[in-house]
Amino acid sequence: MKFEKRRAQVKLEIPTTSMPDIVFMLLMFFMIVTTLREVTVLVDFSLPEAKALEKIENKRLVNYLWVGKGDKIQISDSIAKLEDVQSIMYAKRQLLPNVIVSLRIDRDTNMGFVTDIQQELRKAYCLRINYSANVKI
Amino acid sequence: MAFIKRRVLRSAEIPTASQADLAFLLLLFFLVSTVIDVDTGIGMTLPEYVENVETVEISKDRMASVLVNETGDVLLDGQPISLFQITATLKPRIQSKIEMPKNKKLIVSIKTDRKTVYNAYIQALDQVKLAFFEVRDEYSNSRFGRKFIDLNETEQNEMKEAVPIIISIAEPEKVAQ
Repeated sequence: MKFEKRRAQVKLEIPTTSMPDIVFMLLMFFMIVTTLREVTVLVDFSLPEAKALEKIENKRLVNYLWVGKGDKIQISDSIAKLEDVQSIMYAKRQLLPNVIVSLRIDRDTNMGFVTDIQQELRKAYCLRINYSANVKI
Repeated sequence: MAFIKRRVLRSAEIPTASQADLAFLLLLFFLVSTVIDVDTGIGMTLPEYVENVETVEISKDRMASVLVNETGDVLLDGQPISLFQITATLKPRIQSKIEMPKNKKLIVSIKTDRKTVYNAYIQALDQVKLAFFEVRDEYSNSRFGRKFIDLNETEQNEMKEAVPIIISIAEPEKVAQ
């Protein structure tokens, strides 16, 4: 008498038909979350590093102001002069009353220039600022 | 004799087996190109602009003045100090004022020269902020047994009231050039 190994007659297959759907769902998520950079930065800058950093929770409120090498100022899409900062920022503030100005200032800028910009911001009533900095490790 | 059109029934199916691969490829592209950049920085609130500035006398013991000069040297209350000692020096001074009323809390004033490099200013500001944050964390740890970020909103507000971050950015003096 022969002993034969009994094997279960169950098909061992994971159904893969719904895998594309799952992957597409993930794809959709990333497509929605992705923000492609809209602003081209026209100035050359490298941020300082700091430890006591806070995150800006509400990105919708943020307006960027760059200060690059050679004391160039860029607000949103174009280079601006120091004298224009007040009027531009005041217009932005009227659109968004509690705007946060994220200052992306080059680490080698003189403080005198930074102070001048801050004075303009004060005149434009943009009082919430954020000194953008990278995380120091 | 009837002629019947002969139709050859070929199986016309698009192979769907590779659809998942395609989707994965797209997914990978978006994964890689996604930048969920979180803006980090040191938050500050500027004072309102007023034409005529009134000066208010503040007792010496309430003030800590940090001065950063153009070579990046730091003076704390007139004493030269290294940048990394600012936190340690300020912490006991903030702590000693936790129990005091609102109008007696420590004010840190940061002043720079017009020629001070921005990076030096941020480093000093960072140290001052760090001092406040560490005091908040230690105090909330002793009161609630948790760090400041893990507290709920009312507890956080209570902490903020006990340890308010008051930093004054003094304007650099205008030097005739």
